[in-house]
Amino acid sequence: MRSTWKLIWPPLVAVVFFLTVWQLSISLFHIESWILPSPADIARESTSNASGLWAHTMATLRLTLIGFPIGTGVGLIVALLLHLLPWARRAFYPLIILSQNVPSIALGPLLIIWFGFGLLPKIVLITLVCFFPVAVAAMGGLSQSDQVMMNYMKMAGASKWQIFTKLELPSSIPALFSGVKISATYAVMGAVVAEWIGADKGIGYYMLLQKSAYRTDRMFVAIVIIVLLSLVLFAIIALLEKWLVRWKPRRNS
Amino acid sequence: MSQATQIEQRTTENISSPEAHTAPPALEVSGISKSFTHRRRETNVLNNVSLKVEQQEFVSIVGPSGCGKSTLFHMIGGLVKPDAGTIRMNGKVVTGQRGEISYMPQQPALFPWRTIEDNVLLAGEIKGALQDGAREEARQWLAKVGLNGFEQAYPHMLSGGMQQRAAFLRALLAPQELMLLDEPFSALDALTRSEMQRWLLELWEENRRSVLFITHNIEEALLLSNRIYVFSGRPGSILHTVDVPFPRPRRDEITDSPEFLKLKRQLSQWMREEQAKSEK
Repeated sequence: MRSTWKLIWPPLVAVVFFLTVWQLSISLFHIESWILPSPADIARESTSNASGLWAHTMATLRLTLIGFPIGTGVGLIVALLLHLLPWARRAFYPLIILSQNVPSIALGPLLIIWFGFGLLPKIVLITLVCFFPVAVAAMGGLSQSDQVMMNYMKMAGASKWQIFTKLELPSSIPALFSGVKISATYAVMGAVVAEWIGADKGIGYYMLLQKSAYRTDRMFVAIVIIVLLSLVLFAIIALLEKWLVRWKPRRNS
Repeated sequence: MSQATQIEQRTTENISSPEAHTAPPALEVSGISKSFTHRRRETNVLNNVSLKVEQQEFVSIVGPSGCGKSTLFHMIGGLVKPDAGTIRMNGKVVTGQRGEISYMPQQPALFPWRTIEDNVLLAGEIKGALQDGAREEARQWLAKVGLNGFEQAYPHMLSGGMQQRAAFLRALLAPQELMLLDEPFSALDALTRSEMQRWLLELWEENRRSVLFITHNIEEALLLSNRIYVFSGRPGSILHTVDVPFPRPRRDEITDSPEFLKLKRQLSQWMREEQAKSEK
């Protein structure tokens, strides 16, 4: 219990310090609230409009929770295929990297032309941002198995499939999880961007509305919600990792 | 070396030793050579190496570092193909074939995501020969080597010596008859090492298996082996073959006997000479 506290208090103090400086400088330098609202203003606003915000948050969460597993799944499948078929890896790997140079916001309008205003273009967009970190991390993990263990497996007469399931796959799991954690935060971002492009509910849609009304305080409320959503998703993945990779020695022991 | 001379050698062996009729050697390496090309420079690693492990015999290889001992093991294990020569096991040619030997590497190389029990069962699992009693047998063995209570532990929870014992069990419980041990104790501290040597000696004398053992440690080789091959520096070839005369079961005390010390001195001198040559 004491050690957890030791871990938590430095970032906690930093956050409190940051918020205090923010609050103080607003009253000290007389900054207009439509340019930069104070933390207190933001907190007040979020409670006064809680039920409306809740509906928007749920819409974004739903979109994220559909898109994220699909994106992660696609990333995993791509990684497995490219790992098991070396010629495919050579052919498609540069293409996949190239695909990441196209900004997702630029793809949005195209996706709407192709797939309409429904759920599909949004899921496609989230998948596009999510699959890449998972695919790259998984491929890296799969190809970096321990050489001595690899030799052991080969000398013991293991088939390619046995080497894959008994050595490469389990040893790639820690690397895989670092990719999944990144893609979890990307998924929330992807959902918000998708809602900017075409939606009638969700945090992204709410931000667009408040932007045209110059409601800076509400924009900040939206940002806080996005950050919280990302954090919760990240924490769930981290817990899952801790449970799945319990065979790994703890670093600080 | 031509096929004819090899066959001739085998027939003379058959005449000279009556045992050869009943069972061919567990391992017979004949005329192995190997070079590697790296950046257009060819390095000759092994040069015309021939050696033999009879059934239920403990055979050691000693030699200066870089003499190609590990390459030889990789060849016997089927990882690397020799440029020339053949490898036979139980009379059958197995050159370049994998899955014929049971291997214990220098580092324990236990799979960190498997429990100790599952690690020990790995070789049988790969061969697809995991019988009903295998798990029970593994548990009994773990208890026998002092790892009871650690069956469900993960490797990182064990000390170096315990990990090495688990790795040895993994090799021992493998379905393959011939065991290749590649400097299994080199990463251990001196005290653990001598403890492990005695442990291995006792275990082997109870459960005779055909073993080929690589080591740097002359005393270790003399204590454990029936026969020792002394390797030259690169390119590795066999300089001397020493038959170790001590009767079994051996006790620790033989390390103090004059005969043991004499052999040890002789082997050390050969090793020093080779080391000096390779450093020039």
